[in-house]
Amino acid sequence: MRRPIAIALVLLSAIPLVVAVAGLPAHGDPSAPVHTHVSAHYIERGAEEAGATNLVTGVLLNYRGLDAAGEVTVIFTALIAVLAILLGTGTTPESTASSRGASDRRGADRESTVAPVSPIVSFVVRLLAPFIALYAAYVILHGHVTPGGGFQGGAILAGLFIALAMVLGTRAMQPVARTALAPWLQGAAVLSFVVVGTVGAFLTGFFLGFPAEPPLHLVRELLIIALEVGIAIGGAAVLATIFLHMEAS
Amino acid sequence: MIVMLWHNIDYVASVVLFSIGLYVVIAKENLIKKFLGLNIMETAVFAFIIALGMVEDGRPPIMTGDAQGPFASPLPQTLVLTGIVVAVSTTALALTLIIRIFRRFGTIEANELREME
Amino acid sequence: MYAWPHWLALVVMTPLAGAALTPIAALLDRRSPPWWALATMTFTSLAATMLVLRVFAEGPFSYLPGGWAAPYGVELRFDEFSAVVGVICLIGWMAILFSSRYTRSLPEFASDRSPYYYALLLLNLGGMIGFAVTGDLFNLFVFLEILSLSGYALVAVGGERIAEMAAFKYLLMGAVSSVLVLFAIGFLYGMTGTLNIADVTARLGALEGPTAPAAVALALLAVGFVTKAAIFPLHVWLPDAHAAAPSPVSAVLSGLVVKLGVIGMIRTYRIYYGAGLFDLTVLNHVLMWLGAISIVMGAFFAIFQEDVKLMLAYSTISNIGYIIMGLGLATTYGVIGASVHIFNHALIKATLFLAVGAIIYRTGYRTLSDLRGVGRAMPLTSVALSIGAISIVGIPPTAGFLCKWYITLGAFEANQPLFGFVLVFGALLIFVYYIRMVNAFYFREPIHAEVTEAREVPVSMLLPTLVLASLCLIMGVLGRIPLTFIEPGVVRLLAPLGG
Repeated sequence: MRRPIAIALVLLSAIPLVVAVAGLPAHGDPSAPVHTHVSAHYIERGAEEAGATNLVTGVLLNYRGLDAAGEVTVIFTALIAVLAILLGTGTTPESTASSRGASDRRGADRESTVAPVSPIVSFVVRLLAPFIALYAAYVILHGHVTPGGGFQGGAILAGLFIALAMVLGTRAMQPVARTALAPWLQGAAVLSFVVVGTVGAFLTGFFLGFPAEPPLHLVRELLIIALEVGIAIGGAAVLATIFLHMEAS
Repeated sequence: MIVMLWHNIDYVASVVLFSIGLYVVIAKENLIKKFLGLNIMETAVFAFIIALGMVEDGRPPIMTGDAQGPFASPLPQTLVLTGIVVAVSTTALALTLIIRIFRRFGTIEANELREME
Repeated sequence: MYAWPHWLALVVMTPLAGAALTPIAALLDRRSPPWWALATMTFTSLAATMLVLRVFAEGPFSYLPGGWAAPYGVELRFDEFSAVVGVICLIGWMAILFSSRYTRSLPEFASDRSPYYYALLLLNLGGMIGFAVTGDLFNLFVFLEILSLSGYALVAVGGERIAEMAAFKYLLMGAVSSVLVLFAIGFLYGMTGTLNIADVTARLGALEGPTAPAAVALALLAVGFVTKAAIFPLHVWLPDAHAAAPSPVSAVLSGLVVKLGVIGMIRTYRIYYGAGLFDLTVLNHVLMWLGAISIVMGAFFAIFQEDVKLMLAYSTISNIGYIIMGLGLATTYGVIGASVHIFNHALIKATLFLAVGAIIYRTGYRTLSDLRGVGRAMPLTSVALSIGAISIVGIPPTAGFLCKWYITLGAFEANQPLFGFVLVFGALLIFVYYIRMVNAFYFREPIHAEVTEAREVPVSMLLPTLVLASLCLIMGVLGRIPLTFIEPGVVRLLAPLGG
């Protein structure tokens, strides 16, 4: 019953879509509007105007800074949503036990219930941890020169936290999720956009503006790096905290 | 039309992927499978937008001193970067809801849940 | 004062920044989140007032974040339809104030959830404001996701028995519709190479080559936004979600969030009317019919609901039907009526949900038979509820009357008298179900002791309800002001670009 309806609906949507993609400019054609209009301007002028050799970063943080601000807000929303739904849920006795004591007893509980990890895995994770952290820092700070940036580096950092939590128990993540510092870290991405945007407004007269004139273009570099670091810290803290709470429930 | 389809075979691929995702969303009863279907749909759209920015013999749009064109368009890559973050956020929220549903009803099959409601 | 350009950036960023700071404020003082959220919305309301004043005086204006000229950067554009941010701020403010006491009564609302609840509300309001003022297609999608994600979570936050199921259903349909919107944005970008709405319109108008992708993009956008607006047959997510959410959240979701789907539709129309690429009669007819079916189906289902909140949720479907039908009529009167109904229905539905929330808070019951006689126990709240009910039926001189009158005029102007009759018929059905409610509340003997002993709710809940109810009356008396305010926007919407 469900399957024929599904197939009918899928065909109903797929046929117009195929017709539509056939009507688009040919794939890879350099004279297509995608390449001749806005992108051409970015490629021609972007490196000097936006202050980032990697145009993707330049477009993301500078030309379309408000998109990036919205983007970090989306992932912050996800964190807030997860916390609002999972915190203090006590429908069944065992979930009460595991989440009511969340703030204090949880660490100890986990230690006893966590599946034993192979010593080799544990050793390798701990061996690689500093290198992963270094790589994350490289990706974050070189985002405006090479492929990478705050989000990518933040994801690597979050992966490191999660790997450590699996090996050492979730107590390893207490600093990012359970202290007075945690809300600052989780909101770092949004707040860095607010701060950098306001500084930009004072320097250039536009919210999220970056000064491009010679005496101040070093400030622009600094502001972009501040944004990248903020995005990375915020992204990593958000992803790690979401993992921690899902794992705890 | 057939010639254009052949030129745009990359876009057709994303339409196929999109259709598979839509089918999974509608036809499957398991909430996690439904959600995976949604993720497939999202991936299809990301692939489509990325493919829009490609150019014949294109290079990554990184303007180091000796870089030579043609460059792939940087804008679609930026959009998809944002899109991926959105998809991750939706996934996190959906999994959270599924955890809570399972806690409350002991099942994540949509047909069984409908009976319990 | 209102000429200061940065209000437009502030109105978008203030709620988002406030949301990021809410958990930090909670760290300093556990009871501060509602007051912090209220302060944030107060400042946002100030910015919104300035913006509405400016658009009233000068017409539409833009703000360029980062100083990048239009197609290269993201453009914020404030036009007559963006004035909905005024209503968003007003209802958001009232909902937050109402929540400060109301959330204590929720079944699973542990106190450590409180900062996250207010942060979600702020994010939801900020997302809506951003959606309403952006002039860029992809930015539209980003804000759409902020408001949708926070909306899904707000449904589940109260911990009603079916809340998580309802939220998941909402999330699944909402996320699919978001993907459709993103796909359509991809098509438009592939055809025009730009994302700025005005630029897309201009370049689409000058398009050479096949128009099939533009048509499919239009279909995707229409399906996506119509799902967000909960029009039949894509409304199935709405009743459970709006009934299971905490009442102040229902007021925001029902009053505002579904309207953003309509605003999305208006933006889509702007592009396609402006481009003049093809005749939109078919789409208009589809919307008219879907709107008409939604009016009748929504009202019909509402009549048979025992649960008061479920009844209000179905009545939202019916009222969105009016708005979509007015848009589909595509005549000046019809679209003016539809646009003003966006504002008025937000006020009315927020009044109703807050009043019902106050009653549920005091009595703990939510079905008509359990709530018999509550009108005598809680007179002020019930008066607010009755004003809301009269307004939603569209009896003059309340807020609901003029816009429905305009939509009816639009139907006759478009030579579609049938839809005028559907509208009157829908109003009659709505009248029937509100009569049922008023009858149960005032003229039946109470069957529960909690209902007879119920007292009026505290000021923090009574004040928002009464203010919104009196606005329903005031907007009825001053009904001409929004109509004349929105008119230039509507005329511009319906005209081809440059024509």
